[in-house]
Amino acid sequence: MSANKILIVDDEEIIVRLLSMSLKSDGYETVTAFNGEQGLEVFKSESPDIVVTDIKMPGMDGLELLKRIKEINIETEVIIVTGHGDIDSTITALQFGASDFINKPVRDEALAIALERAKAKIHIRERLEEYTKNLEIKIAEATREIRRKSNFQRLLIHSSNDAIVAFDQDWKIVVYNPAAASIFGEKPSNVRNKMTIQDLYTPNIAGIFMAEAKKKTEPGDMPWKEMVLQTTDGRKIPVQYATNVLRENNEFMGIVNFFQDLTEIKRLEKELVQSERLAAVGQTVSGLAHYVKNILIGLKGGSYVVDVGMKKNNTEKLKAGWETIKKNISRVSDLTQDLLTYSKEREPEFEPCSPNEIVEDVMDLVSDFAAANDIKILKQTDPGVGEMILDPQTIHRALLNLVNNAMDACMEDEDTSKTFEILIKTSMDTENFMCFEIRDNGCGMDEETQKRLFNPMFSTKGGKGTGLGLLVTKKLVEEHKGTIEIKTHLGQGTSFVVRLPYQKAGTVDIKEDES
Amino acid sequence: MNKKVLVVDDDPDVRSFVVTVLEENQYTPLVAHDGIEGLEMIEKSAPDLIILDVLMPRGSGIRLYHHLKTDDVLKHIPVIMFTGIALKSFLKSQKALDEFKGGEIPRPEIYLEKPVEPEELVRAIQKKIG
Repeated sequence: MSANKILIVDDEEIIVRLLSMSLKSDGYETVTAFNGEQGLEVFKSESPDIVVTDIKMPGMDGLELLKRIKEINIETEVIIVTGHGDIDSTITALQFGASDFINKPVRDEALAIALERAKAKIHIRERLEEYTKNLEIKIAEATREIRRKSNFQRLLIHSSNDAIVAFDQDWKIVVYNPAAASIFGEKPSNVRNKMTIQDLYTPNIAGIFMAEAKKKTEPGDMPWKEMVLQTTDGRKIPVQYATNVLRENNEFMGIVNFFQDLTEIKRLEKELVQSERLAAVGQTVSGLAHYVKNILIGLKGGSYVVDVGMKKNNTEKLKAGWETIKKNISRVSDLTQDLLTYSKEREPEFEPCSPNEIVEDVMDLVSDFAAANDIKILKQTDPGVGEMILDPQTIHRALLNLVNNAMDACMEDEDTSKTFEILIKTSMDTENFMCFEIRDNGCGMDEETQKRLFNPMFSTKGGKGTGLGLLVTKKLVEEHKGTIEIKTHLGQGTSFVVRLPYQKAGTVDIKEDES
Repeated sequence: MNKKVLVVDDDPDVRSFVVTVLEENQYTPLVAHDGIEGLEMIEKSAPDLIILDVLMPRGSGIRLYHHLKTDDVLKHIPVIMFTGIALKSFLKSQKALDEFKGGEIPRPEIYLEKPVEPEELVRAIQKKIG
């Protein structure tokens, strides 16, 4: 501790000398002055820690000196030496910030005590200063550390490939990283602390997350889900998302959403499916050639019969030959359509229509052929199905394919004692699906056939089948997000069930957001 | 009297073609839609020649051919195989059937792969029955 330099100011030289000597012997360093003005000069030049000054001096008195010193350094300890009973001056001195006072004549003990007190005060102040300084350093260090850590986390969120959007308890957006910006298209500066969940998400999606917050799920309980996200500027982006509800001491703090943009993955998936499909078509060109050859046989045969008919003027022959040619032309067109359907990506053209009417249409189309081959076609339609949103043309094709297959299955059957029947059924099932069932009591299938049923170009019909019919049917059904199931027993018959998501005509499509 | 030729084929287009070719060349056509009906017709009408498809529902041409060639009475009726499948595949199937049933039956005398020109068909018929 360095509070060791003492300035002694008194107009009586002898007192100054005595005090100085006494203090020096106590180990202090002393400087002296004999009036106020000189005291101030010495104070400025020597910067003593403690000042001991007489109060009554000619010129600048002790009070004035006290005031001036305090102006220069408020922390200087000033001990006032007062005459006996000079209470008023003493009080004034204390008001001006004197740290202590002693009465004249100055006794060594009294001075020693006053100095000790002053030194203790300086000591405390120094320690306080040191402590404060340390504290400041520590706070600065801690702040730096916190800033570093928070920067680290900020960078972590910033550099994440996943879009991260977090909301506070008032649904205000507090975290919104660049990956989120690239999905939602809004600049971070327009979003962070400015937008709420309803501003960024469409009402449907906002609703999902707000409902999520009300549930008492523990963090990490929500698995990744997929959905098609609609941005505020109308883009539709396939994403995978996860949600965590943030809680502190069971108190709702907010929600954080993680999104992964699946656009690229979906595109690759689509490409892969597409190239697999094309490869399948390519691999089986020979199967296709076989089928085309059969058409050619039909056309050649037909034109020969027409030639004969013309030469002989035989209308019967002309008619038969022309029928053959027409039939084979339609086979070519069916094949072309099947190939196009199978190899191309297309979206169904949805419109309100009646599944039961589609059934009627299909029955009308096949009735002649069925009758000619002794096959009864029965229907059992549920009037409760009513109108729904479908692509009627593709569903018509899918059904026609299945009914044609059913008729083939009847004609293939070696047990001719059977009365062949095909039942076309419509119904609703409990899970909001509409079902078509096509059931025949024809030849059925063995396990091997069943396994290869949906393989491209697999046909049990020799050159009479393209091996594309069921494949195309399956694709059409899947485009509707439906499923196709088969139950079959060799020798007893086969049942195909097509299940389609039921959407009543006249309702708005909200499936997109939820799927 | 014209010679009787039986066409066994499930495809109406092929039947109409072959029937026309036969009529044009002074043969009497008989028709059957499948193997089972074919055998009935053979037993009932004793055709001079059979034009036989291979792939048919209800009793394939391979089975009917096998049956004919193992029947002492019927094995003398000449058979023209008239089909869309390659001879190699046919022989493979026939061999499998031979092994399954035991014994060995002769290869078809005439094997025509569709498409076949009318003249070619006529030549084949004439070669067998004049």
